Amino acid sequence: MIASALGSYPRIGEGAEAQKLRRSIQKFQAGGMTREALREVENEVTGEAIAEQEAAGLDWITDGLVRWEDGQTYFADRLEGFKRGQLIRYFDTNTYYRQPVATGPIRWKAPIAVDDWKFAQARASKPVRPVVTGPYTLARLSENAHYGDFESFAADVAAALHEEVRALEEAGAKAIQIDEPALVQDPSDEPLAKRLLARTLAGTRAEIWVALTMGSPVKLLDRALEWAVAGLWLDGVSDPALVERLATRAAAGTVKLGVGIVNARNTRLESADQVREALARVADRQGAERVVATTSAGLEFLPRDRAQQKLARLSEAAHTLGAGARS
Amino acid sequence: MSNDALLTSSIGSFPKPEYLTKARTAFQQGKIGEPELKAVEERATRETIAMQEELGMDILVDGEMYRGDMATYFAENTDGFAISGLVRSYGNRYYRKPILTGPVRFRGPITVEWWKWAQSLTSKPMKAIITGPYTMMDWSFDEHYASRREACLDLARALHEEVRELADAGAKYIQIDEPALSVRVDELDTAIDAMAIVTSGIKATTLTHICYGTFEQIYPRMLDLAVDEYDLAMANTGFALVDHFKKHPFTKTLGLGVFDVHTHRLESVDEMRAGIEKTLQYLPPERIRVVPDCGLKTRTWDESRAKCANMVQAAKQAREKLSAAAR
Repeated sequence: MIASALGSYPRIGEGAEAQKLRRSIQKFQAGGMTREALREVENEVTGEAIAEQEAAGLDWITDGLVRWEDGQTYFADRLEGFKRGQLIRYFDTNTYYRQPVATGPIRWKAPIAVDDWKFAQARASKPVRPVVTGPYTLARLSENAHYGDFESFAADVAAALHEEVRALEEAGAKAIQIDEPALVQDPSDEPLAKRLLARTLAGTRAEIWVALTMGSPVKLLDRALEWAVAGLWLDGVSDPALVERLATRAAAGTVKLGVGIVNARNTRLESADQVREALARVADRQGAERVVATTSAGLEFLPRDRAQQKLARLSEAAHTLGAGARS
Repeated sequence: MSNDALLTSSIGSFPKPEYLTKARTAFQQGKIGEPELKAVEERATRETIAMQEELGMDILVDGEMYRGDMATYFAENTDGFAISGLVRSYGNRYYRKPILTGPVRFRGPITVEWWKWAQSLTSKPMKAIITGPYTMMDWSFDEHYASRREACLDLARALHEEVRELADAGAKYIQIDEPALSVRVDELDTAIDAMAIVTSGIKATTLTHICYGTFEQIYPRMLDLAVDEYDLAMANTGFALVDHFKKHPFTKTLGLGVFDVHTHRLESVDEMRAGIEKTLQYLPPERIRVVPDCGLKTRTWDESRAKCANMVQAAKQAREKLSAAAR
């Protein structure tokens, strides 16, 4: 079984050297550093995030989203029609993001994540999957101060992100991750989210993996498994019923299952046995070839050393599955 | 009209002056020692108290100049906790998060000496403020407890000791902050049970502050928290939440947030007074306190001062209008 990252990686660690990005951003914000010099530091830290994911044994990685101020502004700042609003709590975390405010028609202007992805893939020896905040989530976590209703706002966000997905595909990305955590909070919006995803993904050839994290995806599971996507990343920690469901539900369809079994939001270190056991139960029922091992969310909620330890456990568990360690 | 009508107060934090921020950095870098830092914290506390007196506020706070993160500060002084490596709060801000590593036990008074000293500087009542058990649990990593509820109730027992010490020392108002509370509706019962432990047998007036989140979903059930007063953000939604009192009467004392702490805009006296007058349709003036929406630490000193000055003015005008009507 392969093991994958699920998005963000902690961008600073302990000690002065591990905090160079934090210091550089401060310096840049105070006018003491150029954009180009900051980009150099971001490149270095991206390289470290890649190296640490690879060293932990992951088979499929991301660039760690090192350049993202948060999941909303990274895209909203670079689309036409958004300005920055107030600080808002990100779901049930003690972290905050700048809420984008739509003040005009939302339009895609130019590639957003393409150069960052190309840089990362050139650095990495493992495949790097770019991450795009999904249309439902980007619209839901923003304030709409322009459109008459949420649906027309979200439809324009979906159309703008379609251009971004196409640009990533043209640049050579074989698989793309679409994050839809907001849908997990409000599963009743699934029909709308599905329409928006269809708009964003229209005509794409890349493998699309949609991430349903930051809460229990159990209520969404049956419907999401019918989406026209290659795979789902599922938070398997917020609600133990997810693993239970996957371990008992009949295998159906072709959608692959990224099972987020290592807790990305708590420092308690799982044992490889514990992780292996849960993965084995899902694999027995769903087929090992359909299952990818991952974390319950991106890792930015953890201190860096602990994130690395958790990834190592995850890889170990996935790679030794079925190797007689399942008793 | 009683003397308790429309008393003014604030939530807890005031902006840290630049000289204090610099001193805290110097302390972290080992350039100054604890006594030097404490002297600077005391200077900032004196200035904060003096400002509140000058503005004519009724129930004062010490401004929390000696506290960093509101959960970490209490964790550092309670048994059962370790402190994590750096994790991101938002943007380029990072902090060290508490980790529950063993059973939580009260080690000894945490805020009592500061409270006594702050109270000695003024003849007005000085509010004592602690972080509540639910928020402490929710904002900590947990490597020890089997469940969130168990962790929360142990924290409640430890914090009860702190509240008792504060009451014994003479605190008339004791605030137990629960900003994390309004995010997860499914855990409201745990928070209610925990608060009952914290305030059990305490004679002082007890308050809680809840900010951000899903008021609509936890009201009126949240009135079961064992406190006398709730300080709630009302201005940032244009006092729309007050309308809920039409259907479900607010049965306790309300700390009515009359200005937004996340905007540079200075709300006018008229605007704040209108919010007070709207609330007076549902509650007698003795059960309304006039406060900011939240702590002021993200505003500048001048902004905080100007906003508080208008708040005091708004309460005064509302009181005068009530007296005139009663004559």
